[in-house]
Amino acid sequence: MPSTVVHAAVAFCLAVGLLGEFYDRRALVFVLAVVLAPEIDTFAGWFLDGAHRALLHNLVFTAVAAPVLLWDTTRESSWLRERFGARGVRLVWVGLFVHTFAHMLFDWSHLDGINLFYPITDRFFNLDGEAFFSTAEGFTQTFIEVTTDPETGQQSVDAGQGGTTGNTHVSSPVDPSPDPEPDGVDRRAPIAVQGWQLYLIVLGAFTLVAKKLQSPLPSERDDD
Amino acid sequence: MPPTLVTVAVGVLIGVALLGPAFDRRSLALVALAAALPNLDAAASLLASGVTNALLHSAFVPAAAAVALYYDTERRESSWLRQRYGWYGVRVAWVAVAAYAVAGIGLDLFNIDSAAVLYPLSDRYYSITGKLVLSTQEGIVQTYVEWGDGWLEVTSPGTTETHRVETWLNPSSGADGDVVRRLRFVDSGWQLVVVIIAAAAAPAKRLLDGGSD
Repeated sequence: MPSTVVHAAVAFCLAVGLLGEFYDRRALVFVLAVVLAPEIDTFAGWFLDGAHRALLHNLVFTAVAAPVLLWDTTRESSWLRERFGARGVRLVWVGLFVHTFAHMLFDWSHLDGINLFYPITDRFFNLDGEAFFSTAEGFTQTFIEVTTDPETGQQSVDAGQGGTTGNTHVSSPVDPSPDPEPDGVDRRAPIAVQGWQLYLIVLGAFTLVAKKLQSPLPSERDDD
Repeated sequence: MPPTLVTVAVGVLIGVALLGPAFDRRSLALVALAAALPNLDAAASLLASGVTNALLHSAFVPAAAAVALYYDTERRESSWLRQRYGWYGVRVAWVAVAAYAVAGIGLDLFNIDSAAVLYPLSDRYYSITGKLVLSTQEGIVQTYVEWGDGWLEVTSPGTTETHRVETWLNPSSGADGDVVRRLRFVDSGWQLVVVIIAAAAAPAKRLLDGGSD
């Protein structure tokens, strides 16, 4: 994964805007917990080979949770609203958004990717490629490549499919390799790799600081 | 420079985060435009060579804008901006300056494409790239900035004279003399993700704000 620090920075950047009037320190702690939660599957990797980046790193959770949440929050006597009020509804929606966009999508584009449709199908996907328009080649994108075998005429689609939980091990400082660790193994925890990851950390920090420095607007003052 | 689409996407993220009650379609468009503005120096490079990622990627541009904005809104007795557009105008102006600096210039600085942030004082391009890793064997490994001669040093690919930033507006010709213009949208997976997040965050903000009333 890009480090949790990078995930958290993007999550905070999104939360600052999406939380709106419910933005406060406690809400940020909730967002941080949402970002950390899926990494629990790292520890599952000790018992269940390939669990990291599959068990809790998929889009199936979002696909199930979003309609349920929409159904509950739009009906008249919403369980969530009655129990936790408008603040609870907002927090859960922002949490789901942050989980999906700041965590899942970024891991999808990183290393071996994530197990998108786990547990329905067991296949890691990695989002990688580029898109450009060039005067020589026209519009080109390499994220999803459809190729036709010239001999058999069979079409194949390459959307970055990788292995399955059986043969993919996404290493982490907790579980560096699929084999039992020897003594003195180097456990490496990257905080940021390459300029863009550090940039996203700076971006997250910037939005938090800027939000704090912003003078309250007349409309916000009325709430006090 | 990283593709303008990605710069605009980061600008949208900043707008969604910081516009607050001033968030609407018009203010968000303005902030996104401010983020893209520095890339116009690619067009200026057609007239004066070597100013791509320098002329408008100079930190002095947003700094001057911030000083002017501070003077007008805080120091003067009656602010021109506040009188004309109210708090809405002041908020949008500050966020636009932030988007210009952080999205427009920052994204280039933290990228091998580099930005000459001290232009015109120095015509050197700077590029903050490297890694920061905690290792149980080697401790903290950090290669973004290095100590050299008592100064913090960052990677530099050269100066405006020696380093050429290629753009689709001002491409260099290939070995066979053919000029291929390439307008890049996204260069990698993470950039596509940033674009997707920005495209989702803006409507999400509208939906959530509308729902809480």
